[in-house]
Amino acid sequence: MHAQFPVQVSANEALTGGYFRLTLDAGKPVATEHTRPGQFVMLRGPWGRDLLNGRAFSVLEVLDAGRFSVLAKVFGRGTGLMQAMEPGDEMSCLGPLGNGFPAVDAAVTSLLVAGGVGLPPLHLYARVAAREGAAEAVEMIYGGRTRDDLVLTEDLEAWKVPRVMTTEDGSRGVEGRVTAPLVERLDRAAARGESVRILSCGPTPMLRAVRTLALERGVEAFLCLEEQMACGYGVCLGCAVPVHGARPYAYCCTEGPVFSAREVRWA
Amino acid sequence: MTPSPGASDVDVAMDFGPIRLKNPLMTASGCFAYGQQFAGFMDLRELGGLSTKGISPAPRFGNPLPRIYETASGMLNSIGLENVGTKVFLEEKLPFLNELDISVWVNFFGTDFESYVDCARTLGAGRDRGVSALEMNISCPNIKKGGIEFGTVPEVAHRLTKACAEVTDVPIVVKLTPNVADIVGMAQAVYEAGAAGVSLINTITGMAIDARKRRPRLATTYGGLSGPAIKPVALRMVHQVHAALPDLPICGMGGIYSGEDALEFLMAGASCVQVGTANFAEPPAALRVLAELKVLLASLGFARAEEAVGSLESIPPEPEYRGEGDG
Repeated sequence: MHAQFPVQVSANEALTGGYFRLTLDAGKPVATEHTRPGQFVMLRGPWGRDLLNGRAFSVLEVLDAGRFSVLAKVFGRGTGLMQAMEPGDEMSCLGPLGNGFPAVDAAVTSLLVAGGVGLPPLHLYARVAAREGAAEAVEMIYGGRTRDDLVLTEDLEAWKVPRVMTTEDGSRGVEGRVTAPLVERLDRAAARGESVRILSCGPTPMLRAVRTLALERGVEAFLCLEEQMACGYGVCLGCAVPVHGARPYAYCCTEGPVFSAREVRWA
Repeated sequence: MTPSPGASDVDVAMDFGPIRLKNPLMTASGCFAYGQQFAGFMDLRELGGLSTKGISPAPRFGNPLPRIYETASGMLNSIGLENVGTKVFLEEKLPFLNELDISVWVNFFGTDFESYVDCARTLGAGRDRGVSALEMNISCPNIKKGGIEFGTVPEVAHRLTKACAEVTDVPIVVKLTPNVADIVGMAQAVYEAGAAGVSLINTITGMAIDARKRRPRLATTYGGLSGPAIKPVALRMVHQVHAALPDLPICGMGGIYSGEDALEFLMAGASCVQVGTANFAEPPAALRVLAELKVLLASLGFARAEEAVGSLESIPPEPEYRGEGDG
């Protein structure tokens, strides 16, 4: 059973790289309190007869029973309006929706491969792992174009989560893309006989590269996908994801947004 | 809107031809799945009725993605009529709907003449299990006739409606496509073939382009436009059909987001309305629209919703213009 409830913007904080963090407060305990990393909310402002549908955002932080935050970047008109929102502004929220990543497992190292705006579910995953005393069971590989695209990295430091940063221009961390340190890490795991898996979220080209690597090496990988979505709860059927199996498509909202790399039917 | 005194006194029951509705608010096909997803958001029993996702004889998997794209005050979709097929619908989806005690309109379609008739026959057998009407979607391409839509040629729509009406006792409501030059001609053709009513309107064919990628926004290039952007077209068509065929019951739809939108459709000549795209962002939108409609009807002095149907008045004519020196 889903819930739709009003929320108020309690903070709208500009980060580097055009990112902003919107903290939302329902003013009472709501379902987002139990968000699992990878789950999302549909948010919509008081936008009248324009910008009709909610916008899907992966939950970044669960702050308490009634408060949570999302990370956004201006992409179109909806995110443009959200960037201009001020404390006290109202939105409607539907969620949390979808299925999250598999739970933290101390017996296997989860390589969290994040790119750009794909950070939130993996940031939340690292937070949950740290809270459960399993920070050593996760390692973050986080990439952006420049150092400004890497946000909230101080949290990873505070949680003592092992991490590798990459930037395409070399302004921070390893120059290049996330795939190079990922290959290196997978080689190391193979040499040691270490059990690892990949959890990834980011731009589609990055996810495709991560998927190819995982399939080539027989490493289990879970991809958090994003598709055009009008409802978020399995009705509009807009967010089809091509998959292998009994049906050619699965729905990103109700069956995802996290899919096994093997399941996804990509070229 | 807070209910004003009198809103609860308005009689909102409505007759749609042979179909009795407890109120004129329904939800539209393709925007409400098979109903279950909404049970957590609202009391479905408060609806006047609902129209299911379009059902075809065999299950369909739908189109490649992207399937949807939001436009100015609207959205384009090309889902591809994905559905579970008649067998799964009757066995697994209908029992839930039958329990609701509301008017259940089963939207259906075929891919050729025979499969339309088969579908009507099979679904019509659900009459004693809660099927109140069959809403026939004739906006589908006829695969055997080179993809020409059934709903654009009056003679074809007439024959199809007649053939379907002959195989079932369940009233057939024909959902017309607005992608025609003469909507009245289409409505008349299906009315004379035995349709119990018409649903106006289906989506308007449109497209959107990503100029930076030089690609269409939808995998199928064209899709159906819905939402407030199409409301003026829908109102015009409801009004034209009602003016020409006042005895033909009309279910109006196209961008309804408020009680005032719903009332406009009633005034134009609709006996009931369906809320579609609004459900996506606000699952219980139809019940809010109903509450607003009651308040509005009461405040405008309507004791019964039926009185509002076709109650539109024309703008009084101006005095005749006389040029200088004429008098």
